Amino acid sequence: MRNISRRDFGRLTMASAVASAGTLAGAFPALAQGTNPIRIGMSMSLSGGLAGNGRAALAAQQIWASDVNAKGGLLGRPVQLVFYDDQTNGGQVPGIYTKLLDVDKVDLVTSPYATAMIAPAMPVVMQRQMCFVTILGAGVNTTFKYDRHFNMNVVGDNMKETFAKGFLDIAATLEPKPRSIAILAVDNDFAQRAAESARFLARQRNIRVVYDRSYPPSTVDFSPTMRAVQAARPDLIYIASYPPDSNGILRASSELRISAQMFGGGMVGPQLAAFQAQLGPILNNLVNWDIFSVEPTMNFPGVSEFLTKYREVAVKEQTDVLGNYIPPYAYAQMQIVEQAVKRVGKIDQAALAADMHSQVFDTIIGPVTFSASGEWAHERNLLVQFQGITDGDLERYKRPGAKVILYPANLKSGTPRAPYGTPA
Amino acid sequence: MNTHLRFWLGAAALGLALVAGLRLLGNDYGYFAGYFVLQYVVLAGAWNILGGYAGYVNFGAAGFMAAGAYSAIVVRQWLGWDLIPGIFAAAFVAGLLGLGTGYLTLRLKGVYFSIATLCLAVVLQTLVVNWDYVGGSRGAYIIHARDIPPFNSYSEMLFIVMLALAIITTGIGRAVEMSRLGRGLQAIRDNERAAEAVGVPTLRLKLVATTLCGALMGVAGAPLPYYSGYLNPEAAFSLAYAVNAIAMPLIGGAGTWAGPVIGAVLLASLQQAATVTISSALNLWIVGWMLVIFVAVAPRGILGWFRRRA
Repeated sequence: MRNISRRDFGRLTMASAVASAGTLAGAFPALAQGTNPIRIGMSMSLSGGLAGNGRAALAAQQIWASDVNAKGGLLGRPVQLVFYDDQTNGGQVPGIYTKLLDVDKVDLVTSPYATAMIAPAMPVVMQRQMCFVTILGAGVNTTFKYDRHFNMNVVGDNMKETFAKGFLDIAATLEPKPRSIAILAVDNDFAQRAAESARFLARQRNIRVVYDRSYPPSTVDFSPTMRAVQAARPDLIYIASYPPDSNGILRASSELRISAQMFGGGMVGPQLAAFQAQLGPILNNLVNWDIFSVEPTMNFPGVSEFLTKYREVAVKEQTDVLGNYIPPYAYAQMQIVEQAVKRVGKIDQAALAADMHSQVFDTIIGPVTFSASGEWAHERNLLVQFQGITDGDLERYKRPGAKVILYPANLKSGTPRAPYGTPA
Repeated sequence: MNTHLRFWLGAAALGLALVAGLRLLGNDYGYFAGYFVLQYVVLAGAWNILGGYAGYVNFGAAGFMAAGAYSAIVVRQWLGWDLIPGIFAAAFVAGLLGLGTGYLTLRLKGVYFSIATLCLAVVLQTLVVNWDYVGGSRGAYIIHARDIPPFNSYSEMLFIVMLALAIITTGIGRAVEMSRLGRGLQAIRDNERAAEAVGVPTLRLKLVATTLCGALMGVAGAPLPYYSGYLNPEAAFSLAYAVNAIAMPLIGGAGTWAGPVIGAVLLASLQQAATVTISSALNLWIVGWMLVIFVAVAPRGILGWFRRRA
């Protein structure tokens, strides 16, 4: 190698400095805009694997901000969302929260979507003693035990004993009584917890587990897996999967003409409009975990107005066109922050946390209270069934009747239909 | 003055200036952004030893890095040891992995070797996903103390550790380049059969290179769980590490000790800046275009481009 001359070194230093300038430029405090707004910071997955849900959540939060600002703001100040794309990369999250808190000097922080992005934010947020309302995390605070963490997730504190309860309770109402179950789960945190719950509760109820396997997240061909499930001849099929796999599993099941008294469980994917449009009648009679459905029993004050607004912006923002999954919860997440700030009357992290621990929050997804660990005090895992689906038309999902709530009893809006698929 | 001594003194002075500058800036974000850039300096420098000097393209950087990260987690859970012992453990485990990989795959050449290293990452990920002791698919948490005296903050400590690792890695890369080992590896890159014929101990040199490359990649990964406080297999085996480990030396100038440093500082700074400015899917687009432009305009990297013009 020829040695670098002093002139070369100068040029190289210049090139590196130009690139570094961008980073360092970001390290100077951002100027506050307008009339001293309340700035709420968050990292959000706007690209990468979780972008679908991340973008939908952000759209909902922006609707909340414009609603609040239209009503005169919070504590007489406008609210402003400060957000950065974490690219669905947990490694970006600590840096983003440090930037939000130390450079942008935001007043409040909320979380990105799901466990893998929330957990890396926790040490930074805890170090600065911030109150942190997160969305759809799973057991993050079990390890951190942070008393200012609050999680918007219906699963509550005890996922193992409650998550699959609805599925098995519904199964118990079927005739003949199901006696066997197959459990299939993707190798990730949420799905493994869901499968653990199904396993635990099935054994408790003397339902024989005839198939219990996990598959790696990279799996693309589910025909062999579903053939193995079919060969075990289970009465119930409990799947805990993530969006790309859910699609593959349901398509493989359809091609193999798999039938069971109940099929579904904890699949993430069928809640989304894209799946509903693509899969159409394959979803018929699927009994699946969910968090929201436009049934009369869930028509909480404000939710239909929110969905109308959301659906107007969804097309422009290229997010989930229906908004029946994350968006109402993302809006409610911000309502919780809003109500706590209004009650406390100032931005005081300790007082906000104390308020969140002690008060009931009226949100567009119903009343919410938090337990000591910051999870929902009362779990509300919904089990819904797709009924009367003939094609991929999404209009039906804007009306009651397509995604009927079977569990819990207080939100029930229909009766189960069995079996799933065409019996051999 | 001896050139080696000059390098180490210069690097130490630059390091001290960086720490002093960030202390003056007075916020933790500088440390996090700096850590992000420096981890790629280590990773790119490690890749360069095998890929740049010997011409063996390693697609398994994420696998080695994750091996280091999970070694640090195991050491912590098993023995309660903290970051520094974790780094040594990561170097040992990932180095051993590099040696084993080298022994098993160095009969393969070109694209076949690259595919084998890619497969290694997949095998390791499957192993970690099914290993409950390190959290399996649920991931592992590392709860750390809020303050580590005498450092101003935990993030400053992480930054300084990564800075030291970056300097050491660059120094090792430079020492390799200027030694018989580096010349031997370059001979292998140019024509392995001819090198063997003139007495270059090709297998031994390649094994040293794979071991060194693996160990340094492991070292790059060891602080990762301490940095994020949580590590799951998807994050540890992220394709971004594998792609950046190759892209950065190529952009800076592979086969030179300064190339990976320049490429890593340039590309990682751009990525970090894009994250907090553009902050949308557009930043990936920019990085992609940058790669395309460099491959078209400066196929031998920035250093190669300057030399051609000089």
